[in-house]
Amino acid sequence: MNKKKLAFIIPIFTVFLASLFASKLPDTLETIAINYEFINKAKETSSPFSGYCFPFVENHYASTFLTGIIGLALLYVLFKITTKIVKSLAKLIYEESK
Amino acid sequence: MHIPDGFLNNNLAGGLLAGALGMIGYCLNKILKSITVAVGTIAGSVSEVNLGSQSFGFSENTSKYFQRLTLVALWVFAFQMFNIPVKSATSAHLIGGVFAAILAGPFAGFIIMSFVLIIQSLFFSDGGVLALGANILNMAFIGSFLSYYVYKAFSNKSQHFGVFAACFFSVMAASLACLIELGLSGSIVFSTAFKNMMSLHFGVSCIETLITLALLKVFRSVNGESNE
Repeated sequence: MNKKKLAFIIPIFTVFLASLFASKLPDTLETIAINYEFINKAKETSSPFSGYCFPFVENHYASTFLTGIIGLALLYVLFKITTKIVKSLAKLIYEESK
Repeated sequence: MHIPDGFLNNNLAGGLLAGALGMIGYCLNKILKSITVAVGTIAGSVSEVNLGSQSFGFSENTSKYFQRLTLVALWVFAFQMFNIPVKSATSAHLIGGVFAAILAGPFAGFIIMSFVLIIQSLFFSDGGVLALGANILNMAFIGSFLSYYVYKAFSNKSQHFGVFAACFFSVMAASLACLIELGLSGSIVFSTAFKNMMSLHFGVSCIETLITLALLKVFRSVNGESNE
């Protein structure tokens, strides 16, 4: 398999594995918040895929996998946009300095 | 380690958010400057350089550079989803700051971690929106940017020791910063929670080291790079 493709496939496969096997136990900060009784201070912020759950998909594993893939796609798009902006700014700065 | 909204005092969270946005701007500017210098270097050595629509070496190299940053970010995001059980009734996941900084440098490492945290916060409620500044300080600035210099200081003789020192610093210093922020916000009494917080994260720092070493090896071999 092309190594470049493999570099993109590994995070997708990891998201797949995470949707199946990731621990559902509270993380370290949640544990501290539970132990010291300030977990109730947490405010639920509204977001499209809150808690890595895809709306209308009831299967938990499929829901987590789909949101993971969406996360990867969003990150990819964010970096594509940043690349375009930085590239055009670099050209602009260079042309001005000539 | 993602702090949700409500745990921190609004003034502290707002101040940290402003600082984080400033640091993102500074790091992007640093990346932009290094690329602009590269343009000048390439332009100086090539007689005919077209900076218009036609791409030349600079464009290709910049694309490759950003493709690498994108890949590192995707790996960090994916592996952060994988929670592993540690101790009884607690789980932890990779922070990935050291992994990002070693592969991309301190400035780009900070940007990678910040972008991952922004996406997690805005789309998945993984960390609060107002608390984003604190999360960026803990996991991107301390966990990646500062950890890179720890790695540099300790990696002269052995890269593995450098990764161990950086990962240990990354997790322990980030958790200490988190505890200070919670203490300043009145959510917790610093002195009573210190031992519990640090002992919990000691195990996490060992996991962070092992995963970072493995990921660095796999990432480099997949990208056809030397593991030195």
